[in-house]
Formats: sequence, C-alpha cells, structure tokens
Amino acid sequence: MADITVTINGNQITGHAGITILELAKENSIDIPTLCYCPDLPPMGACRLCVVEVAGSKALVGSCHTPISQGMVIQTHSPKVMATRKIIIELLLASHSGFCTVCDKSNICELRKLAMDMDIGLSRFQSKKRYFPIEDISPYITRDLSKCVLCRRCLQICNEVAKKRVFGIGYRGFNSKVIVDLDQPIDKEVCRDCGLCITSCPTGALSNPAQIGEEKKGTPLVIRG
Amino acid sequence: MRNGFGISMNKSEETISISNNNGENLLVLLEEEQRKSGYLSQEFITALAQSLDTPVSEIYGVISFYSFLSNKLQGRNIIRICKNLPCFLKNSELIIKCITQELGIKPGQTTPDGRFTLVLTNCIGACDKAPAMMINNDIYGDLTPQKITKILESYK
Amino acid sequence: MPEKHIVLRNCGVINPEDLTSYTARGGFQALKKALSIGPEQIIKEIKESGLRGRGGAGFPCGLKWEFTRNTKEQSKYLICNADEGEVGTFKDHFILENDPFSLIEGIAIASYAIGVKKSYIYLRGEYHNLSGRLQNAINQAKENKFLTHVNIEIREGAGAYVCGEESALMDSIEGKRGEARFKPPFPTDKGLWQKPTVINNVETLMNIPQIILNGAAWFNQIGTERSKGTKVFSVSGDVACPGVYELILGSSLKELLINISQSDNIKVVQIGGATGRLVPGTAIDTPLSFESVLGAGSITVFNETRNIMDIVYHTMEFLAEESCGKCTPCREGTEVMKLIIDKFRCGNGTQHDMQLLTELSSAMSLASLCGLGQAAPNVITDSMQYFRDVYESLIPANLRGVKA
Ligand SMILES: Cc1cc2nc3c(=O)[nH]c(=O)nc-3n(C[C@H](O)[C@H](O)[C@H](O)COP(=O)(O)O)c2cc1C
Ligand code: SF4
Ligand code: FES
Ligand code: FES
Repeated sequence: MADITVTINGNQITGHAGITILELAKENSIDIPTLCYCPDLPPMGACRLCVVEVAGSKALVGSCHTPISQGMVIQTHSPKVMATRKIIIELLLASHSGFCTVCDKSNICELRKLAMDMDIGLSRFQSKKRYFPIEDISPYITRDLSKCVLCRRCLQICNEVAKKRVFGIGYRGFNSKVIVDLDQPIDKEVCRDCGLCITSCPTGALSNPAQIGEEKKGTPLVIRG
Repeated sequence: MRNGFGISMNKSEETISISNNNGENLLVLLEEEQRKSGYLSQEFITALAQSLDTPVSEIYGVISFYSFLSNKLQGRNIIRICKNLPCFLKNSELIIKCITQELGIKPGQTTPDGRFTLVLTNCIGACDKAPAMMINNDIYGDLTPQKITKILESYK
Repeated sequence: MPEKHIVLRNCGVINPEDLTSYTARGGFQALKKALSIGPEQIIKEIKESGLRGRGGAGFPCGLKWEFTRNTKEQSKYLICNADEGEVGTFKDHFILENDPFSLIEGIAIASYAIGVKKSYIYLRGEYHNLSGRLQNAINQAKENKFLTHVNIEIREGAGAYVCGEESALMDSIEGKRGEARFKPPFPTDKGLWQKPTVINNVETLMNIPQIILNGAAWFNQIGTERSKGTKVFSVSGDVACPGVYELILGSSLKELLINISQSDNIKVVQIGGATGRLVPGTAIDTPLSFESVLGAGSITVFNETRNIMDIVYHTMEFLAEESCGKCTPCREGTEVMKLIIDKFRCGNGTQHDMQLLTELSSAMSLASLCGLGQAAPNVITDSMQYFRDVYESLIPANLRGVKA
C-alpha cells in the first residue's frame, strides 16, 4: 500500500495508508494515552481519551479510530488536548467509588496511572458515585462494578478473542453498565476460566478471586493531591 | 474493515445486524412482543436469544436502552406524561400531581389493579398542545385537571 | 419576510388518506419529470437549488446524494429521519399527519437519483399512530405504480432521543442499541449495514418534489445567500398562538414571534431545542437562517416570569437522560453539569463551579463522540453569556468574589 506523510507535532512522519493516527504515533514513540483501545482489535472510540488536534477540524479527533490521510497536521499534546484529557480523567474519577487503599489492583490501575501522568490528584468534579454489590460467586472471576470505568475492553476481548460473548452493555447514559444475562451477577454457568477479561480490565473492577495472603501486584503508586 | 462491536456475523446480505436468517430484526421483534403482551417475559427473551443466536445480555442491553421496552410486567394502560420545558411552562407539574392523586401511585409505579402504569417521559411532539401526555398510543393535549378524570375513565 | 408555503402547501388542503386528492394538486408530476430527466440531472438541480438539510446540521443535500450515488457499492440505502425527538419540535408530526404523499414522492425521487432500491422511514415510537396513515400512503402509491423502483419500509423507534442522530439511528435500524458510531467513515460511505447511506430529514425530502417541478433557479431566489428556501418552525411556550409556521429563511425572530405567534415580554428564546441555542429577548431581530441560528426549527419562548435556572436545569436533565452512555465526556459530563446547575438552582453556587462549568463545556464540545454531547453544553455557555448576573446572584453572599 502507498505511504502517507503527515505532520505530528511539527515533524513529518510517514506511515502506511490505512493505519490510524494512534498506530502511527506508537510506531514513532509518541505517547498518546488510551483507555478503551485494545491493540489489534477493532476500535470502539468510547473513552475519548486518545483525542488529538487535527488542523481543519473544529472538534478534537479520536486518534484510535481515525485513519491517517495525506497532509494531515496533528497535535498530540497541545494545551487544548491536554486540558480535555485531564477533564475526562477527572470525570471518571468523580464517579469512581473504588477505595484505592484497599483495592488489590491499585498499584497496577491504569486510571490511577493516567491520573498521575496528568498530575491529577483529587477530581474537582462532584458526581453521583456508582455503587454496586461485589459479585464474588464465580470461582473464576470477581466483579466489582463500582470500579468500572465503562471502557468496554472486557466486552471487546470476550466477544472478539474468547468468542464467548458473556458481557453486554445495559441501560443508557450515566446508568450504563456492563451486564451479564438479565443484569445478573456473573457466575460459573456463563463464563469459562479463560481470564482474558481480567487482564484486560484497566481498574480493579474485574479481578481474580482473592487468595488469602496474596500480595498486591506492582510497585506502590503514590497518590497526589 | 473495522465495524464496531457486539455484532453477530450472519451470512445474509444484511450481514452485521442482529437478525436471524429470516431477516427478522431484534428490535422489531421486541417491539412487536411489547405491543402484544405489554412486556417482555424472561421466557420470551430466552427463546429469542436462541432463535437469533444472540446472547441474553445483548438482548437485555437493547431492552434496557429503549424506554418503551420493558421486561417488567406493566399495567394494561401506560400513561406517559411529558415533563420537558414547553409542557413544564404550561404547568405539567399540576397534571402530574393530579394524576398521581387520582391513581394513588407515583411515576414509575403501577396501580394495584394493574390498570395503569404511570411514567414521565420526554417530549412527545405535542408541545403546541402543552401540557400533553400519551396513554398507550394516543396523545392528549391541552390538559386540565378537569379533563383528566374523563380521559382516565375511558381506559379500562 | 413573509410566510410562504412550499413544504406545507398541501397540508390541510388534501385528504391525507386519499392519493387522488394529492394527484389532483399536481402530485407525482415531479416524479414523472424526475424519471424523464435522469439521476444526474436531478442531483444537479438539487445541488444548484442550494437545499440544505433541515434536520439540524444543514449539510448540502445534493452533495450527500452525489457522494452516495458515486460509490461503487451496489446496495445503498436511503433513510428518512422521522425521529423528531428534539424538545419542542412537532413539525414532522404535522407534516406526516397532513401530507404523507409529498414525503413518499420525495423519497421516490431521491431513491431514483441516488440509485437506492430500499428505503426506510424511521418513525419515532411516540408517533406510532401515524404509521397506519404513512403505510396507507405507501400502499396507494405502490398500487398506482409510482414505487416500482424502490421499496419503502417503515421502522419504528422505541423511545430514545439519541436515535435521531444518524449513526445511532442506523444502529437502531440494525436492531441494536442506538449508540453513536465514530466518524469517519461517514454514512455516505459506510452507513446502514456498512453500505453507503443517505439520511435526510422529513422536511428536507418534502422540498424535493417542488424543486424538481419548479427548477433550481426558482428555489434559489428564495431565502438568503447561504440559506435557500423556507423553514418550518415549531413554536411553543409563552406565545398566544403556538403551532407550525413556514417562513422564508432569513426572516427575523421578531416576524415569527411578535407578528405571527403574538408573544410579548420575551425573556429568552430557545432555538433548536435541548441541543440548540438561547437567544435573549433583546436580540429579537436575529434572523433565522443557517448563517445565524436555526437547528431543527423548534422555537420555545420564555417570558419575563420564567427562571433561567429552571430552563437550564430541565434541558440538562433531558440530555443526561437521553445520552447514549457510550462516550465518557457526555455520559459523565451531562450528569455533573446537572448536579452543578442544581446547586445554583438552590442558591448554593460558587465561583469555582462557574469555572468548572466553563472548562467542562469546552471539553465536552471538543471530545464527545456525537452531536448530542458536543451540543449539550450550549445551554450552559449561552446562559452564562447572557445571564451571568443570574448565576452570580445564586452564589451565597459570603462567597461572592471568592476565587477558587
Ligand atoms: C442528538 C441528535 C438528535 C438528532 N435528532 C434528529 C431528529 O430527530 N430528526 C432529524 O431529522 N435529524 C436529527 N438529527 C440530525 C441527524 O443526525 C442528521 O443530521 C439529519 O437527519 C440529516 O438529515 P438532513 O441532512 O436532511 O438534515 C439529530 C442529531 C443529533 C446529534
Ligand atoms: S455524545 Fe452522548 S449520545 Fe453521543 S455518543 Fe457520546 S454518550 Fe452517546
Ligand atoms: S482510546 Fe480512543 S476513544 Fe478510547
Ligand atoms: S414538551 Fe411536552 S410534548 Fe413537547
């Protein structure tokens, strides 16, 4: 396929036709934060964290789903982009009711990592908190939807890789929720123990059932603010 | 090419919709059943999941997305009172109060005899006749507390 | 500029159940003419007429058709958007109720021009009672051999405003949750079932027969530089005569609200519904056109007795409820905005909140996936611009002037 040349942050960069802005940026070690993006799977464009500025477009553009085109002029870290990404993370933190100190995945939590990278301590927004009972009846997986950020990666992995189609999205707007069957707790009937969704989950919403005496994964992250 | 997610790949021409080989469409089937039975029973959902080869979670996802679909048993008649601005300006709150008193239920509830379910809804396209409401598929406009009793009486 | 009936010319004149009363008024002459001049010429006429979409976005109609016609794909679709969920809009209801035949003729011409064999009319669930009349119109047209080249099917929504957004609408027709898709690819390229698709509002399609009959030049001399033809407005709220009015584009708000629907003491007007703009009563000379403000043509009038915060709160409440929930800025942002406005409504605002609203508005309009989230902050930014004093008066006295 023909090659396409674009300008990213002032530098001319060439990539194959058909790849996305995000993929090109990755190839060239430009770091664009993402949340809903799963490498090698169709993009969803849901979280909007990967937005970049493209000259000629009034709104920002999702880099994970927009293919590059000849002559595109892209800014991946302009002030406008940074301010917007920061707000998105703050919004997610505002409704996130996980307690990091007691969360098993807090040291490997992508949400906290992103917040730290963007120098966000506590969210300036106040929102409703999502509270759901912990689902721990399955021997393979524990779900705590209070910590879910609705990135839909579990859904994507389960549909496209594991091909089990266990999860769906239910309700709409703020009440949206990753559901199983008729919005029932996940149990062993519906899910094998492939565990793909657990590794794909950026937060502590999906985890392996707790083992007594197990240590927290990862090196401790510092909470700012 | 990339084409969204949560889609069942059928071999028919209309490849990626949620439909079975007869070209029946999930949303259409759900709407039909909702009209016929007044709600979508668990048995219906399970049977549909099998015939469309679609997970129950996906079907429930569709049901819970659309406000006209419900998997809970509802009253024989559904009253939908508009709560948006043009109706609000014409005192829709008085109408809501009036109907809740008349029926003794709050929005979201069903009368014990199963005659009415009351819900608040968004604009039903009768703003020139505000305040407005729908009962089943019929639209009533220019509502006044006096008119309410008579209208409700005509639904059994 | 006066009222002029192009779209509504048959409304109230013909019998909407009877095709012969429509043909007696020149019905289906345009289709006959269209079939004789051929697709290229039709698209040329529509392009030259300057007709722009009436569903809100105002995209040039002819261009959309041309893109889709020129794709190599064999199967393509045309969708008539009759979802009309925007708060305060009821013009499409009025049109469908009074003149379904013109719409069918418009669809027939468009389908022929674009090369579509299957068209859908996406009717909102609330208008279920109109589907019988619409189906009857389709049947009669079919019996009279007007629809030999296209199959028209009615699909009904089930109560979701966001399904008026074109990509959500297509997902809904596919039987799925009506969630917006990212663009590109655009519908004209990969739309319904990933095939090229044209989506047009009811009113847009109603204009087609008249343009074909009378020619592009005739249509082109009506209206302003970049807004040709007429627009049907739905007027509601604090006016003496609410209703549906068709005016030449570029007419002033004053003409519509004072002269025609007779309102006075206007504090503010919401144009284009929940995702639309606010225009203060002092700007009554604002022209109604694509260059200025228009939206889908819903006009809700609020008089001096109304509370601005009620207006903003109700609008945000609607948007939060109707957000599809796929993308973060809109799903979380509308909820946060609603809560902040509620604080102001109770007189508990802070300077800091106003700052947050400004920042949040900008992020939402920049990063949301579809038009709902992008336009959701309009009511906040406009009200903060025109009624800043109201916001400030709702900050407790001891906190006024205190910076975050
Ligand atoms: C949230 C949202 C709701 C919309 N609702 C409608 C609607 O109810 N009817 C409509 O015709 N267009 C609606 N639109 C605009 C459509 O997306 C689309 O632009 C339009 O149908 C195109 O037709 P037109 O070119 O004839 O205007 C909506 C857009 C958004 C973002
Ligand atoms: S802007 Fe709102 S309605 Fe549109 S895709 Fe995002 S969440 Fe859905
Ligand atoms: S990573 Fe691109 S939208 Fe989520
Ligand atoms: S606002 Fe009540 S019908 Fe439109």
